[in-house]
Amino acid sequence: MASLELLLIFTLISGVIAYLVGKVHPKTGSILTIIVSGIVFASLAYFGLNEQLLTKVSYLPYISFIQTPLAIFFGVLVSFVFFMVSFFNPYFIDKYTYKAVYSLLYLLSLAGIIGIFFTDNFMTLFFFFELVVWSSLFLIPLGRDEEVSVWYFGFSVFGSFALLSAILLMQSVTGTFDITTGLQAVSGFNRLSVFILLLIAAFAKLGAFPLHYWLPKVLTDSPDPVTSIFSGGLEKLGAFIAVLGLVKLVPTGFFIDVMDMYLTHYILAILGSLTIIGGTVMAIRQDDAKKLLAYSSMSNGGYIIVALSLGSSAGISGGLYHIIAHAIASTAAFLAIGAVARQTNTTKMSELGGMLHKMPITYMVYLIAIISMAGIPPMGGFISKWLIFQGVINKGLILVAAATFFGSIGSFLYVFRPLAALFLGQELPQFKETIKEAPIVMLIPMVILSLLNIVTGVYPTNILAYINTLLVDLNIVQLDITRWTIVGTNGTLNPALIAVMFALGVFIAFIIFISLKKSRKVELMDTYTAANFIYTEELLHYSVDFYAPIERLYEPYIHFMKKFYQALANKVREVGALVKYYIFTSKPEVATFFIMLVIAILLWGDLV
Amino acid sequence: MSIVLLIAVPLFFAFLGIILKKAAPYFLLLVSFFNVLALGFISQGAIVIGGYSSFYGIQLVLNSYSLIGLYVVNTLFFVIVAINCFKHKKLSPILLISLAGLNGLLLTNDLFNLFVFMEIAGISAYLITTTTKDPKSTFNYLVLGTIGSSFYLLGLIILYAMFGVLNIRILGNIIEGVVTNKAAVALPFLFIFIGLGVETKLLPFNSWVKGILGKSNALTGPLVGAVYASAFAFVFGNLLRYLFVFSESLLLIVSILLVATILIGEAMAYASTKVREILLFSSIAQAGVAVLVFALGYYTWGTILIALNGFSKLILYLVVNIAVDQVKSDELSALKGLFVNNKLIGAGFSVATLSILGLPIFAGFIVKMNILVAMANTPKFFFVGVILLASLIEGIYFIKLLINFWFEQDQAPRVKYSYVVIYVTLVIALLITVFGVYLEPLNSIHSTLNLVKGVVMHG
Repeated sequence: MASLELLLIFTLISGVIAYLVGKVHPKTGSILTIIVSGIVFASLAYFGLNEQLLTKVSYLPYISFIQTPLAIFFGVLVSFVFFMVSFFNPYFIDKYTYKAVYSLLYLLSLAGIIGIFFTDNFMTLFFFFELVVWSSLFLIPLGRDEEVSVWYFGFSVFGSFALLSAILLMQSVTGTFDITTGLQAVSGFNRLSVFILLLIAAFAKLGAFPLHYWLPKVLTDSPDPVTSIFSGGLEKLGAFIAVLGLVKLVPTGFFIDVMDMYLTHYILAILGSLTIIGGTVMAIRQDDAKKLLAYSSMSNGGYIIVALSLGSSAGISGGLYHIIAHAIASTAAFLAIGAVARQTNTTKMSELGGMLHKMPITYMVYLIAIISMAGIPPMGGFISKWLIFQGVINKGLILVAAATFFGSIGSFLYVFRPLAALFLGQELPQFKETIKEAPIVMLIPMVILSLLNIVTGVYPTNILAYINTLLVDLNIVQLDITRWTIVGTNGTLNPALIAVMFALGVFIAFIIFISLKKSRKVELMDTYTAANFIYTEELLHYSVDFYAPIERLYEPYIHFMKKFYQALANKVREVGALVKYYIFTSKPEVATFFIMLVIAILLWGDLV
Repeated sequence: MSIVLLIAVPLFFAFLGIILKKAAPYFLLLVSFFNVLALGFISQGAIVIGGYSSFYGIQLVLNSYSLIGLYVVNTLFFVIVAINCFKHKKLSPILLISLAGLNGLLLTNDLFNLFVFMEIAGISAYLITTTTKDPKSTFNYLVLGTIGSSFYLLGLIILYAMFGVLNIRILGNIIEGVVTNKAAVALPFLFIFIGLGVETKLLPFNSWVKGILGKSNALTGPLVGAVYASAFAFVFGNLLRYLFVFSESLLLIVSILLVATILIGEAMAYASTKVREILLFSSIAQAGVAVLVFALGYYTWGTILIALNGFSKLILYLVVNIAVDQVKSDELSALKGLFVNNKLIGAGFSVATLSILGLPIFAGFIVKMNILVAMANTPKFFFVGVILLASLIEGIYFIKLLINFWFEQDQAPRVKYSYVVIYVTLVIALLITVFGVYLEPLNSIHSTLNLVKGVVMHG
């Protein structure tokens, strides 16, 4: 379908159909989500990348579309994540309380995504933004904890109201809801306000510090496919808004000559750095693999903020590339963990081990994903982080650079923990007999994502070329790329060469491995420690409290934002309770007193 | 058909019902249905009772504004009566009188006549609330209601003494034209504001609400929370549009009161753990929003807001009160999982809630956006901020409510809803959704309301 309008209507109607079908047969309803999101992705990708999408609107009132490289970039990416994750839906649908509604809301969110990215009108954008908020909101409580969705709603709506305020401000200046006009026409203090408001919206959606509180909770407690949707897809709405605010809006505020940067952008870079650090140190101390990846997702959101706030071609293309790389890698990682969770019903690392023996493909998927997330070649995450480092170093931002490096090194510390604890190590007795590899349909998206992780790492030129056309659209100098290399200020990167070297290394290691003497396979209990033989297998689990010494360094300080938000909620509650106590008595004389007080205030000048 | 019939027919059957006790519930049902039907055949315009000139006589005015008000109030009233009339047979005559009073409130263009109808509607409300078997709350309501109407009376007496006219529109025109020092009329207007503030539940005049709506049943909850609230909001809107002239200090006081009502109302709802209390405090905040919208001069969208809120509130109060009647507790924890066994009711309730929160594809979104855009263009960004902040708090506790109702941990309460309730809930929810997507009806109401002339002098 080349027409965006038809695509939107199609998705909405299919949502209703999926609901009706799901009422009768939940699994079929969820299979429909695969087909529909596949069609949406294929249409957006095929027609969008050839710039052949039709933006004419003939049925829907008040809605208009526009085809920009930015819209296509985000539209294709997020619909792809929806498509990939949808393969998991049929296998998880049985766990949900409301099976048919799940399919409906899934497709409703997808329809909202199309609307958000492709509209040229701010009010339409807000309409779909809110649609996505509430349709995704009800997906969360199908998982482990219902209260989480309330936090999500609070932060999300705070963000969307900031967005709305920005929209209203621009509209009051320009008299139109047109996105391009609005972003160009605001000036002076208004522009600064719009900038701040848009960035609040972006931070809230992206889960960046200090509006990050909801993100780890939602990613941990949502159903596994929904987690992947949030991490790979919906979070990227924040990135989209950040691009609008940081790149499309003309920068404003105090310009720092020494840094060649606006103060506002620098503050954002610092906040992004704090997000990176916060996400990293929190990820290190998690026992739950999902929660660990959730914090890593937060930290990666920080990278996107830092990159986009740089304003240089290396920074912005790095940020955009990181959006892709992280979407692919985190979706793959969450899906892999989801696959494990489906087979074992837990995501706690202390309760798992040795999954490699039963789920080798899932293991490979996870391995590739975390290599990309940690920014190690030859995966996609390396390219984007390399670009971001280039951007940061060029600007000479020492503190920010330190934070980004810290995040990268920190990610080495945490991403390999689930690998070691969950997939490697000894096979726990309770899983020895029952566990099998995930079904083939679930493996399809995981394998595709893994291949993409590698492709984006080995041959990034095509995507970077597309990002270059996007940069032209955003009035930014293009990145210097050739067929095989990326030219940065501090050197030239040849990803394919690195990949070849890497492959060579693996090959040599393999040769050594087979040429050496075969290792002897021993039974688990065939060992002893501290001069004692081991009788219970569980005792051998070594991944609990692995980084306890590091954790002790910062443990007292980690809860301050949590305390802040809880105190805020309590304050609102206290104000309510206080007024309730003083006004809502069953004594009419109290109300009379207040009436007299109000009258006295009016007559103040005359009485005294 | 004359508009007087909307008041006269209920009154007549009320007295007939006292004589023919057995038939009274049927009268109630038929008359309230007749009123809804009759609205379709009544021509707009003004009539003066007794044939006096409109300057002296009691004038009733039916324009598209009061027509919307009548449609909302009569429809909601009929629905509530249809669900409840055989449970509270003794109340039938009183309910008819209250219907007459409410219709009178919406129709009259005379300040003193308005007072009379306020008393009629008020007294019947006091009597109806006795069904909750909590005399102390009813007594509190009675005392406060009387204090409120006394202030209203005092205000209108001062105005009458100053200008010698009681016709609302004429009086408004005179004040607009003659009075140069607006502060001179600030006091009577404040009195009137307080008088109506008691009934529309504005802070800090509203302490009766907690006893009445906090202990409501399936009759009084929807009736006071949806019907009376909408009727008095319409009346308030009417006065704000045609009569009120704000001096600077009065506007300041009124704005502070309204902002406090909105924000503190939401905070109180947030602080509550009882479902009925959550609803009543959020009603307070919404009443504040409606009055604020009118006070700032956005009449048309304000009208639509009140109408929409009336219908949404009906669902909320109805569903919750029926559940509370059966579960015998209104703690949120006791009602956890209410919708697990009542999915249709849950769907309707969720739609109404999401519409109140102003989320898209529901009508509430359209109304809220139009109000906010109008405010931003005036420009009144402070009030935009207030409404957004209130919506944020409101969203949090309503979503918490919804999540709690939809998901349960162990045992979901068994609540039985009659088919009428399910049907009504679904129809309203459907309409809210349709009006949220298909914008023609709302826009045409909006433009019709814009056309309403400031003054309708002669029938």
